Amino acid sequence: MGLDALLEAFLAVLNGGSLAYLVAGVLLGLTFGVIPGLGGTTALALLIPVTYTLDPLDAMYLAGGVMGATSFGGSISAILLNTPGTAPNAATTFDGYPLARQGKAGLAIGASATASAMGGLIGLFTLLLFIPIAREVVLSFGSSEFLLLTILGLAAIAVSVRGKLLRGLVAACVGLLLAFTGANQFTGDTRFTGGIDYLWDGIPLVPALTGLFAISQMIELALKGGSVAEDTDRQSALKMKISGVGEGIVAVFRHWPVLLRGSVIGTVIGAVPGLGGTVAAFLSYSSTAQTAKDSHTFGTGNIKGVIAPEAANNAKDGGSLIPTVAFGIPGSAETAIFLAILVLHGMEPGPAILLYNEREIYGLIVALTASAVGASVVGLMFSRVLILITRIDVNIIVPVVVTLSLTGVYVLEGRMADVLLTVAMGVLGYLMIRFDYPRLTLVIAFVLGETAERSLHQVRLISDGHVLEYMLSRPVSVILIIATLVTFMLPSLRRLRDIGRSRQIR
Amino acid sequence: MRKLIATGIAAASLLAGGAAYADFPNDGNITFVIPYSPGGGFDTIVRQFAPALEEALGSTVVPENISGAGGARGGQAVHRADPDGYTIGIYNIPGLTVNEVTGRDQGFALNEVTWIANLAVARYALAVNANSAVNSVEDLCASDVPPKFSDTGATSTASVTTRISMAILGCEIVDVTGYSGSSDAMVAVISGEVDATIKPISSLAKYLTDGGSGDMKLILTLTEGEAVPGVPSATDIGYPALAKFTLNRVIGGPPGIPADVVAKIEEGLRMAGESEAVTSWADGAGVQLGFMGAAETSAMMDDLATFYQEYKDLVGASE
Repeated sequence: MGLDALLEAFLAVLNGGSLAYLVAGVLLGLTFGVIPGLGGTTALALLIPVTYTLDPLDAMYLAGGVMGATSFGGSISAILLNTPGTAPNAATTFDGYPLARQGKAGLAIGASATASAMGGLIGLFTLLLFIPIAREVVLSFGSSEFLLLTILGLAAIAVSVRGKLLRGLVAACVGLLLAFTGANQFTGDTRFTGGIDYLWDGIPLVPALTGLFAISQMIELALKGGSVAEDTDRQSALKMKISGVGEGIVAVFRHWPVLLRGSVIGTVIGAVPGLGGTVAAFLSYSSTAQTAKDSHTFGTGNIKGVIAPEAANNAKDGGSLIPTVAFGIPGSAETAIFLAILVLHGMEPGPAILLYNEREIYGLIVALTASAVGASVVGLMFSRVLILITRIDVNIIVPVVVTLSLTGVYVLEGRMADVLLTVAMGVLGYLMIRFDYPRLTLVIAFVLGETAERSLHQVRLISDGHVLEYMLSRPVSVILIIATLVTFMLPSLRRLRDIGRSRQIR
Repeated sequence: MRKLIATGIAAASLLAGGAAYADFPNDGNITFVIPYSPGGGFDTIVRQFAPALEEALGSTVVPENISGAGGARGGQAVHRADPDGYTIGIYNIPGLTVNEVTGRDQGFALNEVTWIANLAVARYALAVNANSAVNSVEDLCASDVPPKFSDTGATSTASVTTRISMAILGCEIVDVTGYSGSSDAMVAVISGEVDATIKPISSLAKYLTDGGSGDMKLILTLTEGEAVPGVPSATDIGYPALAKFTLNRVIGGPPGIPADVVAKIEEGLRMAGESEAVTSWADGAGVQLGFMGAAETSAMMDDLATFYQEYKDLVGASE
């Protein structure tokens, strides 16, 4: 176990047939990643029947290729169209899109590609360190830690609103309202369903996010007209971009602390079941924006705002394998479907899988890493072509993106109601853009709301009503409480420091 | 033109009448509705049976996932289909039975479904942490504080089973619901967050001291007679009613499928269940195949409805 198995897996991947599956997975992942509405989850769901006849190891290469490549693919549309290709890329739009509008799409894509690849690599090594203590890691996260993590995530909303506190809170409340729709996990009653049985299972994530980000952005673009990039001097813009890609690569290494922090946050959040890439990318972004000296430039095209979420996004794939393989608990939506592929191939997820299916698990780890790097290389090769997207007339982009994303939403579950929900959320999203309400705040609350509610309920029952004493007796909980307090206080502390400094100057 | 052909076909099939049923399945695909997304227990068993069923019936079987509303949407889709045998489905039983007892409108009535077969039965057991001092149900219930159990949703079959069976045993409990999956709920016992959990024996197997990871031990099986060596059963401790709790894989179709068509599908499913592919998969995955024909399945469904009706008050909300 360990390095030997890893080396063996690396050698095995070079064997002709396996490499073909990996490459197929990467190309599929990139394509599904780029198209808003489609994502790793959809790609894997469609692949389940295909993997039936495959050797388990080849199935791992195919699935790993997809999982590793979608996040970079998604960042391309996030940067170029302000439309995250997959939900976790939402945080990348904050600084990626402003860069693209300034004609610096090359810089953003170069940084995103490099951060993705490096994040994947760092995530892999973190995973290797974690494997021996995977059990302890998973067991130390109980209801109490879940509750505190969601509170930490909700606290980070305060950063994302950037001065629009009231609007941010309104959006967050709408997000919570959406999160609480459907069957109540502990009374069995249904809430806010209005007699529509489609809503019993709650509001599904993929259609909601596709509507909020992709469709709303397309409405905005269609009404505005023109093309994405403001710079109309095509010639000079092109010249800038060619050098931009290389600059983007260099930027990642120059800002290595951002890369490192993003990767570690990604791995840790990935390892916590139920939180997933959206939260990982967002926490990475907000912690970077909060602690940076130039925090006021975030949101206007700061390259660190692209590096942080993308590194976390790829690192979380490694992390999310910990609970998936060790306990059969998916760490993200993609791993939930990936779990199904494991079961189909006769691998029973559980602590024993690391002992009996070493070959397949290490094969998967290698596939994830290789595809994160491979997707970035492919992406960089085509980056010059991709950048032209921002020059295309929106009258062409809008119908293509709308058609593809609505089709993607339909394909996932085959439900027309999902498509209607996507359109409704698209209108809501557009109204939010129009009246300047932050959409990401809504999404964070929407993603975390349900987990927050049920873990609060669980902690209350488990601790016999003594919630605070119970939390303070658990080390991981204490760490999370401190992290939350710091998140809350950081902006005030920084303001105090700035005031202090300006006095000194005087 | 197309309309004309369609009318012609309709007329021809009317003329053929009973004969068309006699040679079921003569053409077309058989749609096998799965009321959950790909990858779960329901999906897996249907996809394992499908190739063997195809071979037995000589007709293509297409599994179709129609997820939503706790399995009710898939059930509705089957209910609306023509009763010609070309649409069948697997049902979330006893989940739908429990919903019906609590008066939730599911868009169709279970007693109208044409029951065809039961493919597998999972039985429940009560597990505690392997390091726990608790070795029997008496130990568990002897404490001053009611023992805590872990479950997914309050309307999940396992949660309903937990509440009713512990009530039958006269043991006051707290059922902590909201875990995102049954693995999650079992890990809560391993991490010591809760005291015990009632789950299907096959799901618990991978965590048991005997043959699993050694994190949990069984103190009771909800079965008639010994199901796991050395673990007392419901009958052993004098509560045979507890053996009523099972998790079934039941196949049915729209109301009014002709008896001869039902018989053919039933036979096809029986043959599929005995095929090498299915039995070896079941062995590996810890699934207990337990074939029942149409008549037996119908009787069991009536039985279940009566049983849960009896405990109607406990089936509802936990608090």
